[in-house]
Amino acid sequence: MKFSNIAKFFLLVWMLGVIWAAFYYVQPAEGFIGQSSRIVFFHVPTAWVSVLAFLVSCVSSIQYLRTRDPEHDIRAAVASRLGLLFAVLATVTGAIFARIMWNAYWNWDPRQTSIAILLLIYAAYFALRSAVPDPERRAALAAVYAILAFVTVPFLVFVVPRIYWSLHPDTIINVRGANDFDSRYTQVLLASLAGFTGLFVWINSIDCRLDKIRRRRQEEVL
Amino acid sequence: MSSLLAEALAVAAKDLRTEFRTRVALNALGLFALTTLAAVSYTIGPYRIAEADRPYLLSALLWVVILFASLAGLDRTFVKEEESHTAPLLRLSAGPHAVWLGKLLFNLGLLAALMVILVPLFIVLMGLPLVLHFGWLVAVLAAGGFALAVITTIVAAIIARAMTRGALFAVLSLPLLLPLVIFAIQGTAGVASGEIEIVHQSLRAMISFGGIMVVVSAALFPVIWGE
Repeated sequence: MKFSNIAKFFLLVWMLGVIWAAFYYVQPAEGFIGQSSRIVFFHVPTAWVSVLAFLVSCVSSIQYLRTRDPEHDIRAAVASRLGLLFAVLATVTGAIFARIMWNAYWNWDPRQTSIAILLLIYAAYFALRSAVPDPERRAALAAVYAILAFVTVPFLVFVVPRIYWSLHPDTIINVRGANDFDSRYTQVLLASLAGFTGLFVWINSIDCRLDKIRRRRQEEVL
Repeated sequence: MSSLLAEALAVAAKDLRTEFRTRVALNALGLFALTTLAAVSYTIGPYRIAEADRPYLLSALLWVVILFASLAGLDRTFVKEEESHTAPLLRLSAGPHAVWLGKLLFNLGLLAALMVILVPLFIVLMGLPLVLHFGWLVAVLAAGGFALAVITTIVAAIIARAMTRGALFAVLSLPLLLPLVIFAIQGTAGVASGEIEIVHQSLRAMISFGGIMVVVSAALFPVIWGE
């Protein structure tokens, strides 16, 4: 059996384990309504993966500008697309949690505002891509915008929620640097983060290969 | 360094001269701002909003007017070079950093002119008590305007090389500008309500955002311009 097949099988078992642990291994946390605290195992990893994807997109964009290799452009575009997808998932899981805890899906909490803007930025990235017909110019302009967008991310993720009062539960690495979670929570959360990261790497590589094939076919047609 | 500055000033002066021939950007910016101000002042005026809400709501309105006015006109510096096919000549006669700095200076001038006219009118028409802390008001406007000009300049450079420029300018600028506008509104509201601590916070955020954008734009502009 090839290594990649073993890795895929391992990822399947791992994610099943994470899902099982999220519902059976940990107890509902105090201070949260009903079972709502369990969503942390899915909400935090999707948010983490979306930031990771945007980091990959930024790094690939810088590499594209240095080498002008179209492969890096494909990587940047694919990572942004996945980042957008995971940001939507983080928004939706966050909204579900908000409905249970604060009785409203959406209340313009600073965290919700910043993720909404993040979604807008990357939607704008694709608007730019579709507005430049020449592939090389499209790649270069999109790379510049991806870097500009990534510079804005820290302000949205770290500065805006710090300046404004937020209902959002403390992030894991909070101001005190202490870990308020029960140790079982930490174990499952770390496992889930690892699983989601693996999932991202896998989808990313499939998507990159698909995009390359798509591009080659396009060139053949032309 | 001094030659860079001299070149940049020459580019800005050239832009200013051509601007005064047609006044496209100036008209777009000024008329947009005055029309929205008239609409806002006519429908809301100073007394429609309760005393306690005034600092926040009126600051938000002020920045909405400034933001949309700048989206109406600040892309002209680069778009007009593409439309009149003068960009290749400019590429030959000045280095990319000088072009970027010159265009930034021109946009800064345009935005400063807009604010000098708009803000006093806004204060008078809307009864926003901003004059009590005049120094802080100028600081907030300067920091916000600076970052606004930096971001719109680099985005204008990008969209000038794409299709459907007008629509794209707003689409690409707005998400990047949103955190800035949030800080600016917060700061202006702090000035209006006399809470200087909030003004400090938002000034710090705006200056660091503007500073980072300057560094990133200066590094990336040659890529866009040479493309």
